[in-house]
Amino acid sequence: MQRPNDLNESQWQAVCHQGSHLLISAGPGTGKTHALTRRIAQVIPFLKSGEKILAVTFTNKAACQMQDRLTALGVRQSQVFIGTFHGFCLKLLRDYFEHTALPKDFKVATPEDITGFGKETLERISHMKSSQLAIDPDEEYKSYQRYLRQNLWIDFDDILREALLLLEDENIAGLLRRQYRYVFVDEYQDINIVQNVLLKILAREGVLLTAIGDANQSIYGFRGSRVELFHRFKEDFPPSEVLTLRENYRSASSLLAASGQVMGGVELTAKLNTEGKLVMHAAVSDRAEADYVAQQIEKLIGGLDMTTSRRARHSLGDIVVLYRLNAQRHVLGKALEYLGIPYQIAQKPKRADVYSDEDVLGHNEEQVDYNVEKVSLMTLHAAKGLEFPVVFIVGCEDNLFPLDLIGMKSDSPEERRLFYVGMTRAKEHLYLTYARRRQLFGQTLMQNPSPYLSDIAEELKAYEAEKRRATKKDPDAAQMKLF
Amino acid sequence: MKFLADLHVHSKYSRATAKNLDLENLYLWAQYKGIHIVGTGDFVHPQWFKELEDKLESAENGLFKLKDKFADPLDAQIPESCRADVRFVLTVEISNIYKRHDKVRKVHNLILSPSLQAAGKIQAKLGSIGNISSDGRPILGLDSYDLLDITLDADAKNLFIPAHIWTPWFSALGSMGGFDSMVEAFGDLTKHIFAVETGLSSDPAMNWRLKQLDDFILVSNSDAHSPSKLGREANVFDTDFSYDGIYKALSDKDDKGLVSTLEFFPEEGKYHFDGHRNCQVRWHPKETIKHKGICPACGKPVTVGVANRVEILADRLEGGKSRRWRPYQNIVPLVELIAEVKNTGTAGKAVQEAYMNILAKLGNEFYILLECPIDDIKQAAGLVLAEGVNRMRQGKVEIAAGYDGEFGTIKIFNSGEREHIEQQMSLF
Repeated sequence: MQRPNDLNESQWQAVCHQGSHLLISAGPGTGKTHALTRRIAQVIPFLKSGEKILAVTFTNKAACQMQDRLTALGVRQSQVFIGTFHGFCLKLLRDYFEHTALPKDFKVATPEDITGFGKETLERISHMKSSQLAIDPDEEYKSYQRYLRQNLWIDFDDILREALLLLEDENIAGLLRRQYRYVFVDEYQDINIVQNVLLKILAREGVLLTAIGDANQSIYGFRGSRVELFHRFKEDFPPSEVLTLRENYRSASSLLAASGQVMGGVELTAKLNTEGKLVMHAAVSDRAEADYVAQQIEKLIGGLDMTTSRRARHSLGDIVVLYRLNAQRHVLGKALEYLGIPYQIAQKPKRADVYSDEDVLGHNEEQVDYNVEKVSLMTLHAAKGLEFPVVFIVGCEDNLFPLDLIGMKSDSPEERRLFYVGMTRAKEHLYLTYARRRQLFGQTLMQNPSPYLSDIAEELKAYEAEKRRATKKDPDAAQMKLF
Repeated sequence: MKFLADLHVHSKYSRATAKNLDLENLYLWAQYKGIHIVGTGDFVHPQWFKELEDKLESAENGLFKLKDKFADPLDAQIPESCRADVRFVLTVEISNIYKRHDKVRKVHNLILSPSLQAAGKIQAKLGSIGNISSDGRPILGLDSYDLLDITLDADAKNLFIPAHIWTPWFSALGSMGGFDSMVEAFGDLTKHIFAVETGLSSDPAMNWRLKQLDDFILVSNSDAHSPSKLGREANVFDTDFSYDGIYKALSDKDDKGLVSTLEFFPEEGKYHFDGHRNCQVRWHPKETIKHKGICPACGKPVTVGVANRVEILADRLEGGKSRRWRPYQNIVPLVELIAEVKNTGTAGKAVQEAYMNILAKLGNEFYILLECPIDDIKQAAGLVLAEGVNRMRQGKVEIAAGYDGEFGTIKIFNSGEREHIEQQMSLF
């Protein structure tokens, strides 16, 4: 068969691969979803009557997008079950209810339903449930589980664990294997151990698993994701093949080079001829940093009134501002509001989006009848899977990247991956900014640049100095004059 | 009845506007100028909306008046000769910034509402879409088409008027941020637009050269960002003194309620010619073509002004008229005439004092500019100003055209001419 024009050689190999499990290692912008959906469409003709494909996505939103793409490729809805792990497992619990030990009429508890347990307690228990197969329950754990049972609830993590229990019944596991002949899993780098074991049960006896993901973008360790599982694929699913997609269709080559340097030796080939611009900016304070961002955005969109008008190549929806902590958001919002720049705050996928199916929560998406463009503000975690012509990463400082503040310290390799995820969202312009002084959680912190910045070759960087309009309201500007 | 209306102004809540741009000053300046109906501007802004609710009361159908308790204390400041009733009509301008066909579009649109309820509906809808509290002329990432849809949905009597349609950066047909046709911008909803605003840098005759504008009536407003700029342009109506009167005059193609418009000399507008302000390059469109649009100083494309843009889109010869054409009179603001007489800038105290003195003696500004017998002006303000008004009425002014955001400069007298006129006077 001849390779179609919309697939490159390695994508084509991945699409056509037959005869074993397959892990596709797909870096940012390498056409991951494209390759995955094309591969699904490719195996459809091999299905026998009554057989189906199982496609597991990270969020419900991603599931909808995949559904749309598959429909466009002529795949019928009846041929594929698309959903999150939780959506699929919940379906199993409902379909095979009589084989479970669940209370009759059990309901799924959303985090909002649960009262009487502190946030930290719930996070700790959730982490146990998602990162350990065998749990040695402490008193708090036991009392939480009793609380759930009393209310005839199971929580999101229990959906997976109960499904795992269900699949210990070989009859049911066998039934599923005969039904789902091909299993596809997206975002494999963010899989947890429970999901891993579920897949091991399903992908046996001729069932073929295709997993796709990028180990360099694993950023959900705090939710129990384990990037080692990505590297262990060959051992977990023998026999298997690993293919790598290296051609990037998103970012300008200079930006790709810079992110590759931060990640230490990742080399992707830029296929687009766009001109990239990597701007570094040091501000005296977080407020000055926010003003800088707002002013740059005003410039990028070609001005907001007659006095600032200039040629515009970008619109509001082309721009995102990324930050490590939600606490950094307020000052940015104020600076944008001051200039009247429309913005929206995008949240990272809620647990409800990741873990629910439609049965649980119904359509709770807001009905938006007009397409409104705004500058996006979001945490780096929320930016996963997205791309923007213009990306600002603010607060590139040594206690935010990697995160190391009082009471908050994060796994260092994962922090680097998070920064890499942020950088690789950018198509044309990437701004890395930092402040020398920052207000955070009621404290004034004196800041140093993030060590990640020095990993980027100097010739790729353009430094933009601080240019500020002195206003009476602004003590920072007055202070600048002293330097 | 015959009345003057300036339908596009702003409040102090808009960006880059005067701090005293409030209802009281609009009330005062409308009378100084001789405007009978003035837009409120900015009705979407929550604080301004509240001020409108607090300080205005319903008057004639769809029109509002400043409550007596706010108006009465102001009346002493108004020369007897200028005192007149002032009515407000609810208006707002929205700045739409959005991408269409992969190009960034920036279009300003004016909306008129017949009631606080209708205005409130628009406010609620836009408030759910974006930030309406940090700028009285809110910037929304909303397609103009959708804004028109929202406007019509809120009340069938709302009027939607694409603002200063030729401004390069912020308008429906602008060279930099606009479209090539109204239909391209507004699609199937175009038929719900009855009027378009010419803006300072174009006059009706320029607009008549586009057949695509034939179905629209042309309106002219000041887009004032300070009270004294009120009435830089205005509309003369002769119809029922009400919102419905205005609505009919604009929407009904056979209605003759809009009589004429008062216009800036388009050359005086900020974007008449092409060029680069920072490079001090000011070009007639022909010159721009000669240079292929590239600024010799900085090597970047020049800002293409209104004259050039009209020429590009025109499909009718100069001198042709549109179906809904109205006569118009070019005017120069009175302070500029006084400054010209005194050979000084407009901002000086002497000019301001002279302005108020003349109003006290003769009447409001539009009366002086348009109707007052030249002899009366001569008596009240001297021969030179009288001659200035006379020349303005006949269009005998010299203007260095505006470009790339720089206003054009008006010259009525050559050097030595003022003295010459005064000497003539002394002969009598």
